[in-house]
Amino acid sequence: MLRFLGFRLLRAIVTIVLVVTFAFVVLRLSGDPALLIMSVDAPPEAIAAFRAAWGLDDPLWVQYIRYFNAIFHGDLGRSMRDGRDAIVLVTERIPATLALTLPALAIKIGIGVPAGVYAALHRNSLADRMVMVMAVAGFTIPSFVLGLILVLVFAVQLGWLPSGGQESWRHAILPVITLGVGGAAVLARFTRSAMLEVLGQPFIRSASAKGVPWAAVVRNHALPNAAIPTVTIIGFMVGSLIAGAVVVESVFSWPGVGRLLVVAVANRDLAVVQCILLLVAMTMVIANLIVDLLYGALDPRLRATRTAGAH
Amino acid sequence: MAARIGRRTTLALPAAAMLAAPALGQSDQRPSVTVAVQKISNSNLLEMLREQSNVGTRIFFNYAEPLIGTDWTGDMSIRPGLATSWRRPSENVVEMTLRQGVRFHNGDEMTAEDVAFSFGPDRMFGGGSMAGHEPPRDAIAIARRSFPGFERMEIVDRHTVRFINKVPDVTLEGRLSRTTAIIGSQRGFAEAASWTDWARKPIGTGPYRVAEFRPDQVLVLEAHDDYWGGRPPIRRLRFLEVPEVSGRINMLLSGEADFACDIPPDQIATVESNARYEVVGGPILNTRVLTFDKSHPVLANPLVRRAITHSIDRQAIVDALFSGKTRVPPGLQFEFFGETFAEGWSVPKFDLAEARRLLREANYKGEPIPYRLLNNYYTNQTPTAQVMVEGWRAVGLNIQIEMRENWSQITSRETQRGIRDWSQGASFGDPVAQTPPNFGRQGSAWISNEWRNEEFGDLSELLETSTDRPARKAAWRRMLEIAEREDPAWTVLHQNTNFTAKRRDLGWKSSQTFVMDFRNDNWGV
Repeated sequence: MLRFLGFRLLRAIVTIVLVVTFAFVVLRLSGDPALLIMSVDAPPEAIAAFRAAWGLDDPLWVQYIRYFNAIFHGDLGRSMRDGRDAIVLVTERIPATLALTLPALAIKIGIGVPAGVYAALHRNSLADRMVMVMAVAGFTIPSFVLGLILVLVFAVQLGWLPSGGQESWRHAILPVITLGVGGAAVLARFTRSAMLEVLGQPFIRSASAKGVPWAAVVRNHALPNAAIPTVTIIGFMVGSLIAGAVVVESVFSWPGVGRLLVVAVANRDLAVVQCILLLVAMTMVIANLIVDLLYGALDPRLRATRTAGAH
Repeated sequence: MAARIGRRTTLALPAAAMLAAPALGQSDQRPSVTVAVQKISNSNLLEMLREQSNVGTRIFFNYAEPLIGTDWTGDMSIRPGLATSWRRPSENVVEMTLRQGVRFHNGDEMTAEDVAFSFGPDRMFGGGSMAGHEPPRDAIAIARRSFPGFERMEIVDRHTVRFINKVPDVTLEGRLSRTTAIIGSQRGFAEAASWTDWARKPIGTGPYRVAEFRPDQVLVLEAHDDYWGGRPPIRRLRFLEVPEVSGRINMLLSGEADFACDIPPDQIATVESNARYEVVGGPILNTRVLTFDKSHPVLANPLVRRAITHSIDRQAIVDALFSGKTRVPPGLQFEFFGETFAEGWSVPKFDLAEARRLLREANYKGEPIPYRLLNNYYTNQTPTAQVMVEGWRAVGLNIQIEMRENWSQITSRETQRGIRDWSQGASFGDPVAQTPPNFGRQGSAWISNEWRNEEFGDLSELLETSTDRPARKAAWRRMLEIAEREDPAWTVLHQNTNFTAKRRDLGWKSSQTFVMDFRNDNWGV
């Protein structure tokens, strides 16, 4: 198990280094932060002074080494816009993002998984078709379209809910629904497919033939076996808790990490972008690790393979 | 655990604020006003030495003021502000009498000491005495560019100061009215932890004080009841950042915002279809131009550039894309340039036959010319380009649009540049405010080798340094002849626009700039 964890950790570090390096090179080659932050109308000498102050005149590889050296000393850099620590800027936005993504994750799981299971258990029924129609609609409608429709109906026409901003819990309702609906649709489809595949397996028929009640067959045999693909998808969703609401945060003017990322990328505010990417990569890696561990818990065969590999 | 606490905190704070709001309202009947803006501040700071942008211009006047004011909602002429009067003891000195009884947001009375501080090394030029308060290098550069001949601010007495320039300058009053010339509290600056901390919450004399600033989110201003211009009409003025146009309009229509800024012309009818709302504004003192790169082998020939200028149907663009709500200005100049304004000047005539003749004379064979473009950074930028490309194609010009993501890519010299979009604005009534800083020898076009013309460079310097008014007027006209006709550096397209959607029942006038004036003489009008 330790070797397994060690290998995963090493892979995670390599992944994070590659992500950060790629972002560094792409961002630096595609825009000059001095011009983007100071504006094209700023005097040339002011832009030059900005570049000098932030070391942007140095060769790219020098900037890159300086950046990594700082990271290894625990310094994630400062925002070139207002000089604040990037880590402070990012962490102060995390609660706002989680205020959307955690309830949305609950909606995704709370609606998506039961709906998928129900549809699979009632295959080809009216309920199954309705669930699938809703799932396809939820899956295919882009979040910004759904968000705008919700705003038009519930904020502009009915006046029940605010259209944007982050001033009370009511402001979170529409963005949470927008985020939750799409994810619930994805989960419903995956869960249904997984359940249908498992329900067609010989061991399900065997259990039924032995007289095990159908509910027990589903609970004890179908659900655990169908859980692996569903857990994989949920793992991805957990991994995107930090930066998975970029579009929705923009549509609803929600000041979370996603909006910060958009602004930072537009301004090539490197330290902030890198800080967010590090955070996202770490979240994703941790989520994947948890999913891997859950695989073992859900499927004894995988656990046995790992144990064998550890010897 | 951290996430749970954070989330609770996030939701609880605004809720607490909402509970507190009615209590405040009981003793103060003035309204709270919310303005939905695309961007509050590009730099995340409120100090204009760092925030050189249109969005910064929109808000600054509400919390800080320069010595010499501007008639924002009128003819843009200068007028008494924190200085009640001024005179010129010599060509390089402006002596100003300060308004008495002006209070900063921290309660201090504004004196000549504060004025000297505001133009001093601590806030502007660096090398000051306050430890940890050194301005950023780019802010110093902007200060020097704003006041290139500045020598010192001399205190005559508690309410009289002299701005002393090293060289004669007829535009000093104009320079003293611009955004960088705001007067801040010396004590407030000293009490801030650093220059940047000051820049996040400057203490000025404006009608509203900065109560809260959450960058990229919200700027909350509260009435400064000791304001010298009378009690502000709004109790709480909130600028809320809503990046999407649809979001801003929806906020207005749902009653969450009272104003929505940066409305594109094609959305005006949508907003005004509801009788409770209207869209105000129109042309502003900012001009959309195309600029040419003379280092391009084809554009090196001025005949080709002239052909380009003659094959643009500017009026069609104004009529079709702006519903006639802007205009084609008389070249890169505004009437408020006053005595320097070149009367009778106009943009190159839309004349396809002349354009064809010029291309024949230039022996142009259809070589491609790149036209780098941002996606609607300027209002209707992309459709305007598409209209122009059709006009150019009609005369045989092979101008190819190249979409870019940001300004850095637009100005990059890594591949051959050709034509690009730009805008030019004047912060005070003289061409010195807009043209020499961009096209003169210190300008970015010159420095980046985009366009140079020695005679133009000489005239720019004359315009900046001469006090001979007729000579300045003649120089400006000649500069227009060079840069818009003989050796085109730019060609004017139209005046930029600024439209603000608002509740119809709120009496408020927009200005010819981005400035939003919420003082009592512009409320209920």
